[in-house]
Formats: sequence, structure tokens, C-alpha cells
Amino acid sequence: MFKFFFIYFYILLSLQSFSFAENKKLENEIYKNLRCLVCQGQSVADSNSDFAQTLKLVVKDKIKEGKSKKEIYDFLTKKYGEWIVYKPKFNRYNFLLWFLPYLTIVFGGIVIFILLKKRKNQRTN
Amino acid sequence: MLSNTGIILIILTLFLSFLIIYISVVNIKEKNNIIDKKIYHYTFYQVIFSILSFLTLLAGFINSDFSLINVFENSHSDKPLFYKIAGTWGSHEGSLLLWINIIVVFSFLFLIYNKKSNKIFRLYTLIFQNFLILGFLIFLLFNSNPFSKIYPIPLEGLGLNPILQDPALVIHPPLLYVGFVGSSIYFSAAMASLVSNYKGKEFALSIKPWILISWCFQTLGIIAGSIWAYYELGWGGFWFWDPVENVSLMPWFAITALMHSVIVLEKRNSIYSWVVILCLSTFILSVTGTFLVRSGILNSVHTFANDPSRGIYILLLLAIMIFASLIIFFKNNKRETYNFQIQSKETFILINNWFMFFFLISVLIGTLYPIFLEALTQTKISVGPPFYSIVIFPFIVLFLIVMAIGPKISWIKGGYKKINFAIIILALSTFLNFLIFKIFGSYSILSNLIIISSIFLIIHSVYDLFGIVKKNVQFDLSRIISHLGFGLLIFFIGINHNYSIEEDFNLKVGEIKNFHKYQMNFKSLEKNDRKNYQAIVGNFILIDKKKNLKEFLKPEIRVYSSPETLTYEASIKTKIYSDKYLTMSNITRSDYYNIKFQEKPFMIWIWISAIMISIGGFIRLFKKGELK
Repeated sequence: MFKFFFIYFYILLSLQSFSFAENKKLENEIYKNLRCLVCQGQSVADSNSDFAQTLKLVVKDKIKEGKSKKEIYDFLTKKYGEWIVYKPKFNRYNFLLWFLPYLTIVFGGIVIFILLKKRKNQRTN
Repeated sequence: MLSNTGIILIILTLFLSFLIIYISVVNIKEKNNIIDKKIYHYTFYQVIFSILSFLTLLAGFINSDFSLINVFENSHSDKPLFYKIAGTWGSHEGSLLLWINIIVVFSFLFLIYNKKSNKIFRLYTLIFQNFLILGFLIFLLFNSNPFSKIYPIPLEGLGLNPILQDPALVIHPPLLYVGFVGSSIYFSAAMASLVSNYKGKEFALSIKPWILISWCFQTLGIIAGSIWAYYELGWGGFWFWDPVENVSLMPWFAITALMHSVIVLEKRNSIYSWVVILCLSTFILSVTGTFLVRSGILNSVHTFANDPSRGIYILLLLAIMIFASLIIFFKNNKRETYNFQIQSKETFILINNWFMFFFLISVLIGTLYPIFLEALTQTKISVGPPFYSIVIFPFIVLFLIVMAIGPKISWIKGGYKKINFAIIILALSTFLNFLIFKIFGSYSILSNLIIISSIFLIIHSVYDLFGIVKKNVQFDLSRIISHLGFGLLIFFIGINHNYSIEEDFNLKVGEIKNFHKYQMNFKSLEKNDRKNYQAIVGNFILIDKKKNLKEFLKPEIRVYSSPETLTYEASIKTKIYSDKYLTMSNITRSDYYNIKFQEKPFMIWIWISAIMISIGGFIRLFKKGELK
């Protein structure tokens, strides 16, 4: 049976072959993380607006200049505000945003642990 | 004419709600176990009247009766009949009427299908349900009346938002609504259960089918929306963590948690309070979602219809619901003892709930945080896909593994005996993953882990599937299908994400562009007049230089006149192993067109595996006999 799977996945996946162009990926990644400011909830990558076209050119130029991802984001945030990047910075204001989800997982873990512990005691009694 | 008919029907439905509440209260005091025949009758009439009111609105849309503001604002006489019909629920007012119809129908069905349950429990459920119906009916009448008149009567309507003019409009909202509004019934049932002290196994059994129904529909509704977004919005993605998408996902997490924990209540008579909390919060989250979307607080692709005054009313309704449920919960909830062991199915279901709750809270915070931050500090931030990938995805890895192992453990006292088996499968998954990235190119550590764990779940589920086929017991079939679907979904998303090809460039008619193994030829442009829009069609020839294959792609730019809008229609070639996706858009003051080409591996498999998840639910629904 395992052989069957092995062959199945092998065949399925061999039928596709891809090649990457690494620098292409970087600009696409950046487009996706930028909000198109004139659209309703679309990223620069998705939008057909003039604003998005212009921003794409800006990003391309910056990459050509040899700027890193972070430098490009910083440049755009300075120009347009934090609203433009889809990944909020970790700072004083956004601390809770990044922290609260993990707090729930810890909290949930404690609750489950207590429930199980309680039961164990009940059983041994 | 239609306006008056509609309003009279709504008022009759409203009046019946009062009547049902009154008679139910009287009936509860009578010391017998028979529900008054009148209650059945009135509930039935209520269904008839509310359906008739919906049909009245439908008639308005079909006849293009522009004396109704709602028809005037959302329809046009040129529009194909199909979209005239779907336009009935294409606006806020119309969809609210649909919402009320569903809530009324569920109320009736719950009454007649729960004959075995305790009388007082059934009557209380009916009372709470009718309070909800009242709340929404008053909202409809005073704030969002689809039957409002306009004078003088306009000769022509404004037309429906072109993005909504799509076959998906016919199925996506109704599916989602059945899912969201369907959860009202176990909201009411949970309240009734607290008040009438009808707990434990009987309670679990009475709500279980309803949870299953709304779960199945909600799942399908979300998938339909996602497929729609994929081909309509022209960005080639299927999930953007857009606030409105998130808002539909939150009740889904709650209901999925509920669907699992209600089994614990049924089989082990435990975690009653938690089940009640989930019942209450599923519907509350559904209404919260509606509030956020309809009030226009969220910035999203979906905000096509909003108005702050609606927001205030829904917020008020929401506040009453939350307040009432908190009071009833704390007044009637009693402490219970828990009796389960670490290595038992109950524990694993709790762990499922733990994860679901974490996903829910993460999405909730991601969606609401920017709103609060802006209100408090005037800083506008965007929380988008990167946030969710960082916070949620690492936990998907653990979740998948628990999902594979959990169901194999028996009730009360189990223990996972097949440790060796798990290790072999894990090794096999790792090996398969190794092969994938060795052959097709590497990806990040997190992608590796996600793909390994999804293969782990897939192998486990397929193994189980063979197991039940061999033994010919179908008890677990639905669970296996859903879990397998989820494993496949994550696997294909992972592969799709890592091996997609995206190209973004500008081309003029007649130009040729070479990239990867492809050559793209922008042959020509043609203009076509269609029924209610004009289409500019681009003719592209895509040549696969390796395989020497030729494909014709025809993306469109559509110019609608009523209302005046441009939409971009992607040209998609779907094959078993990958989708080719092409959009073009005009660039102002230039002969060039912006071309976006994507090749997305296994796109269709993402849909198939997602649909499989909901098929699992439907299997259980239709095999209800197996449940006992």
C-alpha cells in the first residue's frame, strides 16, 4: 500500500516541473504585502489601478538600486504611513496584536491542564 | 401594490411572533406534556407569510417594479432575468429578508422534528427563537425595509453592482446564510436548555443535527465565496485574510469546535457549559460579522453596501443578545464534574477546541485590532496575510498531527497504542516531502513542516479509509472524509503556494514576451457588445516552448453602463495539474496593457479537497441512523 502511495505521489508530482527566477519572486512578494491605497481591500499585486502600477515601478527601481526588503518597506511607510504595509510593525502600539493570540494558547493550555489534573486527583481519591 | 402587500405580510409575521411567544408562555404553565396545536399552526402560518413576503420582493425584481426603492437601486430592466432574481438578495435589505426567512423556517423545522424532546425545552426554544425573529423583523421594518416606496416612480433602475453579476451570487449568499442563521436555532436551544434545565445527552442529541446542517452549509458557503473571489476579483488568489473573509471564518471555527465537543456531551455527558458557550458564541459571532460588514466599519472588497445607522441597530441587537445570554448563563449554570483521562478521545476533542479557539481569537484580534487602534491613537494599520501566516501557520503543523492521532484513541480510557505505526508514517511523510523539494525546488522550513504534517494526516486518513472498507463498518466514514479533505487541502495549498509562477509585465498589441518556458503573444484586441455591457477582449497565445503546446487565452475588460463600472475578467485554463490565469488591464494614457500571468499548480485540487470536508458532514447527516 505504501508503495502505491509512493508511486502515486511521484507520478503526480513529476508531471510538473518548475524553475524559479529568484529576483522576480522578491518583487512579487513585496507587491503582495503592500496595500493599494485607492482600492477597497486589495493589495498592489492584485489591483489594476494606476496607483498600483506606479507603486510597482517604485518598488522595481528600489530593487534595482539594491535596496533590501526592509529598506523598501521603511521608505514606503515613511511616505504613506503604516496603513500601506500588511504586516504591522512590532512596536509599542502593536504589541498586543502580536502578543494576545499567543496568550490565548497559553491560557487554553492551562485550562486543559487544570481540568486533567483535577480529574486525576478525583480518580486517585 | 407590491409594497403594501410586502409590508402587510411582514407585519403579519411580526404579529404571529408575539402570538407564539404569548401562547407558548401560557402553554408552559399547563402541567401536561402536550404542545398546544395552535402553536404548530401559528408557526406554520409564520413560515407561509414570511416566504410570501420574500416572493413578493422577488416579483418586484422580476417585473422591474421601480416603485420599490430596493428594486430601483439594485436592478435594471436590461439585466438578464437570472440576475434580476439573484438581485433579490444582492442588497442589504433583500438579504435581511432572506435571513429572516431562514430563521423562521428553522424555527418551524426544529419544532416539528424534535417531538421526542421535553415540552418545556421545545417551547422555550421557540420563545427565544421568536424573540430573535422579532428583533430582526423590527430592524427590517424600521431601518432596512425592502418594500419602501419611491415617488415619483423612476423609469429605469440603477443596476446591480457588476461584480455581483455572476452565477455565484445565486449560491454563495444563500449557502452562507443557511449556515450563519441556522446557528440561531441552537443559540435559542442553548438558552432554553439553561432555563428549562434540559441538559446532557438529550440536549446534545436534539441540537446535533442542526449543528451539522449549519456547519455543512457554512463550509460550502465559504468555499463558494473563495472560488468566486478566485475567478472574479482577478488576483488569482483564493484567500486574502480580508476582514470580511475573516468575519465568515470566525463563526466557522466556533461551530467546528462545537461540532466536536457536542459529541463529548452526547457520549460522556461532560463539558455541558462549554457546549452551551459555543452554541451561544457561534450565533453571536455570526451576527457580529453581519454588523461589521453591514456597518461599513471594515475596509474590504466586500463593502458594497453599508450604512452606519444599520450598524447602530445591529449593535443594539447584538448587545441585547450578549447581555441576555450572559445573564441566563450565569444564573442557571451549575458546576459540573469532569471525568476524563489524559489519553482519551475527550482530551483530544478538548485539544481540537483549544486550537479552534486559538485560530478564532487570532482572526478576531487581527480583524478588530486596527479598528480599536485607530479609535484610540489615530494610527491606521493594516493587518493582512503576513500576520496570519506568522501567527497561525506554525500551529497548523501541530493541529494536523493531533487531527491524525486523536480519532484513533478510544473514549474514557484509551492510549495511543500504535506509536510505531505513527513513527513509520512520519518517516514516510518526511521522505515524500524530501522527494518533493528535491525534485521541484526547495521551500522554507515552515512549508516543509506543514507539508510533512499534512502528508502525515493524509496517510493516516487513507489508512483508516481502507480499514473501514475492509471491515465494512461505515461509522467513521464522515469523519475520515472530512479529515482527509482537510489534510489534502493544506497539502495542496502548500504546494500551490510554493510552486506558483507569477509574472507581471506591460505589453502592447502585437508584442511578444518570453519568460520561463513560455512565450506570450498579444495577438489582437476586439470589442464585443454583450447584453448589458461592452467587452474588450484580448487575444493571447501562450506557447509552452518545452512541450511545444499552444494555448489561447482571452482576458476581458468589461465596461458596464448601469452603474458605470469597469471590471476585469480573468481568462483561466484549468487542468488537472495546474491552472493558467491571465488578466489584463488598461494603463491610462498609454497603448500598453498591464498583463498578469500566473500558473497555479493543483488549483482544482484545492477546491476538491475543501468540498470533501463538507461532504464528510453531509454523509453524517444522511446517515443519521449510523449515529446511534
